[in-house]
Amino acid sequence: MKTLKILHMYADLLDLYGDSGNMEILDYRCRMRGITCEIDKYSVDSEIPDFSSYDLIYIGGGADLEQQHIAADLLRCREALKKAYDEGVFLFLICGGYQLMGKYYRDADGNDIPGLGLFDYYTIAPESRKKRCIGNIVIRTEITGKPVDVVGFENHGGQTNGVKSPFGKVLYGNGNCSQSEAEGYFEKNVIATYLHGPCLAKNPEISDYMISYCMNRGADSPAELAPLDDKLEIDCRKVMLNRLLNKK
Amino acid sequence: MKRLLIIIGKIIVKLLRLLKRNAGNLPGIVLWHLSGHKAVSMFKVDCPIIAITGTNGKTSVTNCIAQLFEGSGNKIIINKEGNNLDTGICSLLLRHCDMKGRVKADYLILETDESHVPVVYSQLKLDTLVVLNFFRDQLDRNGEMETLIQKINGFCKTFEGNLILNGDDPNTARLGRANPQNKNVRYFHAKPYAFATQNAFEASEGRFCPFCGDALEYEYYQYSHIGKFRCAKCGFGDYEPYITAENIDLDKPVFTADGNEYSPVLNSIYNVYNMTAVAAAAKLYNIDQKVTNKVISTYTVNNGRMEKFMLGDRDTTLNLAKNPVGANMTLRVMNEMGGEKELLFVLNDNVADGLDVSWIWDINFSVFERVTRVVTSGTRAYDIAVRIKNSGYPAEKIVVCPDLDKSVETLAETPGKKFVIANYTAVQPTRAALKRYIEKRGGKAQ
Repeated sequence: MKTLKILHMYADLLDLYGDSGNMEILDYRCRMRGITCEIDKYSVDSEIPDFSSYDLIYIGGGADLEQQHIAADLLRCREALKKAYDEGVFLFLICGGYQLMGKYYRDADGNDIPGLGLFDYYTIAPESRKKRCIGNIVIRTEITGKPVDVVGFENHGGQTNGVKSPFGKVLYGNGNCSQSEAEGYFEKNVIATYLHGPCLAKNPEISDYMISYCMNRGADSPAELAPLDDKLEIDCRKVMLNRLLNKK
Repeated sequence: MKRLLIIIGKIIVKLLRLLKRNAGNLPGIVLWHLSGHKAVSMFKVDCPIIAITGTNGKTSVTNCIAQLFEGSGNKIIINKEGNNLDTGICSLLLRHCDMKGRVKADYLILETDESHVPVVYSQLKLDTLVVLNFFRDQLDRNGEMETLIQKINGFCKTFEGNLILNGDDPNTARLGRANPQNKNVRYFHAKPYAFATQNAFEASEGRFCPFCGDALEYEYYQYSHIGKFRCAKCGFGDYEPYITAENIDLDKPVFTADGNEYSPVLNSIYNVYNMTAVAAAAKLYNIDQKVTNKVISTYTVNNGRMEKFMLGDRDTTLNLAKNPVGANMTLRVMNEMGGEKELLFVLNDNVADGLDVSWIWDINFSVFERVTRVVTSGTRAYDIAVRIKNSGYPAEKIVVCPDLDKSVETLAETPGKKFVIANYTAVQPTRAALKRYIEKRGGKAQ
């Protein structure tokens, strides 16, 4: 039987807005196809794990206070994590996880929290803590080769700039910056996004993109994933797309 | 100027009454604008004010504390309808004040929204603040938990009145250190009940000591992050409880505090904490023990909190769950009910609910026991259906009915026990739909 190995980082700390739901969804979609999904957890001050032995590394979002806690710990893991990424391990990063992989995060008081610098983007929090991008969001992504409208919920103060290859184009909501056109960051083995909801809840194509990538990594002839009955998910998304895009 | 505003406010109240409209919030909103956002500062209140705040249980505890004073023969004013923002409290006072803005009562008992405590009580003198707990709730509306706690903590820094705090919630207990000069800080506490655990098993806040950053150690967890905690490094959590609930037996249900035995109507650990907060208030204000006994042993709620209905001959229980902690507790209660049952979950995403429904992913549905079918409804009927499906529950047993009346009919079409969970703005429409069904098809409302 095939196995998909996931490392869920800081699950105990970065779990605002139901982000752990993404793990439940990946696990569910693997299970329904007879793929075993193993999810290990890593948190602060533990032994640095062998990142390269995983197929996918996941980091969710958290409150500002917790994020600082984590930034220092993450820097400790930098080399091992970068090696895994270079070898093609998939990085799935939400909100705080997304920000911390960039160059730095400048908080509302002007202090820089250094990021891992894996990517060129950087994030600046507005001076006023009240200025946040909050609300439902729809983005159109083409990562699967076909346009997919992804629906989620964003709630971030930080404004992320310097993104060269975004995850999607904003159809409704804010995105990387207030009222911006682009959302998230994408490479073939990286999805970094502000979308909560959780992100995968009504967007099965995104889950399957990641599962497919992981299962076919290193394979000579890529195999198609068995289709699942996604009627509930698709209907769920349709309701929100109708509500958000038609009223605009 | 103040008098003029009071008169304007009173006229609005009268007009709304003539139009048979609810005057719960609108007059306050008008005055809030006219008074430069200082709506409650216009009133003159000479009696003690007791405010109750926290994420869960505010309404219950407010009503109980009101009954303590009422039962002792006092005239009280209370925001029964749960209008707990500054504008709601302003509307309440408008209805009860004279033309000079004087409010006459023996006690004001005010349920107060967590984020509005500093606003309201920087304008009105507060005698006692009861803080029940802080959980993740409507994150997008309230901002992150820490911001919210900081707000109330800021208020507590200069507050010298009575603070009654849940000593088993680190998020709440930390307020006790906000003002070291305040000698009137009291904690309530509960000994472990039968289902207390060594490890936390639901998403929880506050794993770190807010004072030194070390991980908190727990002797036991009652539910979520509520339990006997302590910081080994700085000693946060070491305090002498003012009142302790012990010998908790939820089968009866019964518990003791200060040597008095209480038999509450509702059998959750949740309710034991609420009632212990009530007992603490009773102790502080020297309420006659007979009155306290009566209030705690008879208090029940008929507003969608474990409310019973008969849909024809289908035994149905409705409970409000507006956040994961409430929903997880409700699922526990549902599971403890023997036999097969069906669930209707009504999920809305109106402004008062918080537009973000991702909190449903923090509900642990994998605990389902003998749930034979799930019906979902509300403005986010599909979201809750997807959530339950991904917990591993068979998709073919989930029926999505966004229309509320249709969802109740679907629920009632099969025999057996029914359980209904509705979130904040869904609960009243759901009650109404259940009652409409009963009117049409027979049955009984509580």
